Amino acid sequence: MEKLLVSPSPHIHAKTSTSVIMRDVIIALAPAILVSLLFYGWSELLVLGVSVASCVLIEWAITKWMLHRPSTIGDLSAVVTGLLLAMNLPATTPWWIVFIGALVAIGVAKMTFGGLGQNVFNPAITGRVFLLISFPTYMTDWSMPSGFVKSVDAVSGSTPLSALKEALLSGTSIPDFMQANNYTWQTLLTDIGGSVGEISAIALLVGFAYLLVRKVVKIWIPLSIFATVAVISLIFNSIDPAAYTGVLFNLKTGGLILGACFMATDYVTSPMSRTGGIIYGIGIGFIVMMIRYFGSYPEGVSFAILIMNCVVPLLNNWFHQKKYGRN
Amino acid sequence: MSKITFRIGGVHPDDNKISRNCAIETLPLPPTVYVSMSQHIGAPAKPVVAAGDKVKVGQVIAEPGGFVSAFIHSPVSGTVKGLVERKDLSGKPVQHVEITVEGDEWAEGIDLSDKLVTEIPADKDVILEKIKAGGVVGLGGATFPTHVKLNPAPGKVADCLIINGAECEPYLTSDYRIMVERPDEIVVGAAIMQKVLGCRCVIGVEENKPEAIEALKASVSRLGYPDIEVLSLKKRYPQGGEKQLIDAVLHRQVRSGCLPIDAGAVVQNVATALAVYEAVQKNKPLITNTLTVTGDCLPVEKQHNYLFRIGTPLSFIIEQAGGVPEGAAKLISGGPMMGKAISNTDATTVKGSSSILYLSEESTKRKPQGNCIRCGKCSDACPMGLEPFLLNRLYKAGDLEGLEKNAAQDCIECGCCLYSCPAYIPLLDNIRQAKAQVMGVIRARAAAAKAAAEAVK
Repeated sequence: MEKLLVSPSPHIHAKTSTSVIMRDVIIALAPAILVSLLFYGWSELLVLGVSVASCVLIEWAITKWMLHRPSTIGDLSAVVTGLLLAMNLPATTPWWIVFIGALVAIGVAKMTFGGLGQNVFNPAITGRVFLLISFPTYMTDWSMPSGFVKSVDAVSGSTPLSALKEALLSGTSIPDFMQANNYTWQTLLTDIGGSVGEISAIALLVGFAYLLVRKVVKIWIPLSIFATVAVISLIFNSIDPAAYTGVLFNLKTGGLILGACFMATDYVTSPMSRTGGIIYGIGIGFIVMMIRYFGSYPEGVSFAILIMNCVVPLLNNWFHQKKYGRN
Repeated sequence: MSKITFRIGGVHPDDNKISRNCAIETLPLPPTVYVSMSQHIGAPAKPVVAAGDKVKVGQVIAEPGGFVSAFIHSPVSGTVKGLVERKDLSGKPVQHVEITVEGDEWAEGIDLSDKLVTEIPADKDVILEKIKAGGVVGLGGATFPTHVKLNPAPGKVADCLIINGAECEPYLTSDYRIMVERPDEIVVGAAIMQKVLGCRCVIGVEENKPEAIEALKASVSRLGYPDIEVLSLKKRYPQGGEKQLIDAVLHRQVRSGCLPIDAGAVVQNVATALAVYEAVQKNKPLITNTLTVTGDCLPVEKQHNYLFRIGTPLSFIIEQAGGVPEGAAKLISGGPMMGKAISNTDATTVKGSSSILYLSEESTKRKPQGNCIRCGKCSDACPMGLEPFLLNRLYKAGDLEGLEKNAAQDCIECGCCLYSCPAYIPLLDNIRQAKAQVMGVIRARAAAAKAAAEAVK
């Protein structure tokens, strides 16, 4: 008889793997990426290409020449980081800035901590925030969407949130601002400027639904973020509609949907228990709204997620599974 | 669809009951049997035969070696060749009685007819004595002596007997076949145990076995014993785990460190119910059991459910079933979730043998492990509500106190954590070690406390 395998039970496996999960995330991001390619064209393709290629290359180089370990790029997590980083950048970002973002995301936020699973902060957001602070002019040059073949630098505009912040600072009330800019509360598909990942709520939500169906993520983190944002905007907006934007505007604008569905749900940097996840989501929603209403930055999803990333180890220590026979 | 199930964790592997339609066949007698003295949990049995003795089928060849132990009977007639030390299926040396088979002569008093005996002895002690004399042990996996389990310590009362027909392990079909082919005997066996405990009885079967549920329901209504109910359970692993089944059927949990009887429940497998029927109603000791020969690399026409004599070498069964199939990478005794890999086909069958499972390399070979991505799938899957990723980390750090605090000792080794892990981290391998270490600490502490209490006296 040939040699037999002998190992302890269980002898079968669910056939899932890290790369299958990452592949599902990539599939889930595809609709939003397609929409942003349609609206931003070639320059967006360049940002995406440079970002993904840099992330994968940097991870490969670090494992090979600095850590002397087998390459981990096969798990596809670097591809996901690359896509998320690109979706958080304006389509006009020069390639070298994208590369620096990838270097910070993979090199600093991920690999210095020991690679996949070991990092405290979400790599893509860390890269994005680094760029936002270091290169504010490039990072806030939001182009108005233009067709795939048209050049993007023809129209330049600001995001609704940054335009609003400026308007409020110069004394315009919100209803006047909405009218002047022709924003409707129901602009759900796309027509407003923003980073590539922000422009299509429907495409992002379709992708997120796929992740829910595939049981890759659970709904409670995004849900508690959306609920907190909705409750806070409802309260402030009903107190003073002239100074505080309303529920739909806050849910739809900025990177909230992308952040809540795809970045706050990152396994590594979010809590493992349901209660922990809900508290984490409420914290993100609260910080987002505080920054939007009272902060000097127009948008705060990235900061909110990074701040709550710090709380995750504490939440993991605090909330445990309900155990059998130990009540 | 049945909604009745346990409340925490669980996984949904494909059930792969390929051999479900293979009727039970009687396996021919092998030329030699090797009867293990360690076929049950507890002290090994003490042999009472010597080389050269002539034995008949059903004759006692070993006596219980302690309170938690069981009688062992000769499964064949022939001549005892001697006491030999042989390796069991995981390679551990165990004492066996070797018997050369000559004819098939049964001991006096064993009823070999097919007639169903429905009248149950009135005296509880008579029943318990017959179960003990028949060497009956739990056939659901743990092989705990049945007469001990049916005789709770003073002050402890069962209010429900649960007969376990879940057969939640993928591939296995031996329980299914006996439920379909011998439902009457199972129901009488259940009624006997019910009489001993004096409580109601629920027979729980997973809903992927509708024919078994129908057959048992028909038997229950035909035989007319009171307070026996057949319950359809959701298909979910480990539904047949003792603690999970109690939670599913009674919505009660067995407290950590306690026994099912502390939650008012006694759980017995359907195969055990059949063995109880045979021991009490037919005077036939536990010398046969049903075993499935199956696997994903075995064509369905080569799959079998065999009625075998306990002590038949695995190699004999493998040969009878046409040899190890092409493409088999691993041989398993038991199910794919909790069974043991066979490292030695010269090993023999025991009372609790339920299958020979051939798995292909594709379905069974472990992939290299990666980093934990903290997805939490292991904690979602754990039916005991433990956090395997945390226990794994504590084990690697050697933190025994942390392991005990996080209940490593509660692990039932069902395998759901490793089954679900996308990074192929050997969670259960490590938690098993951790559990053993923590149990050692707990036992040492109990022993020290006992010694201290005695010193005070």
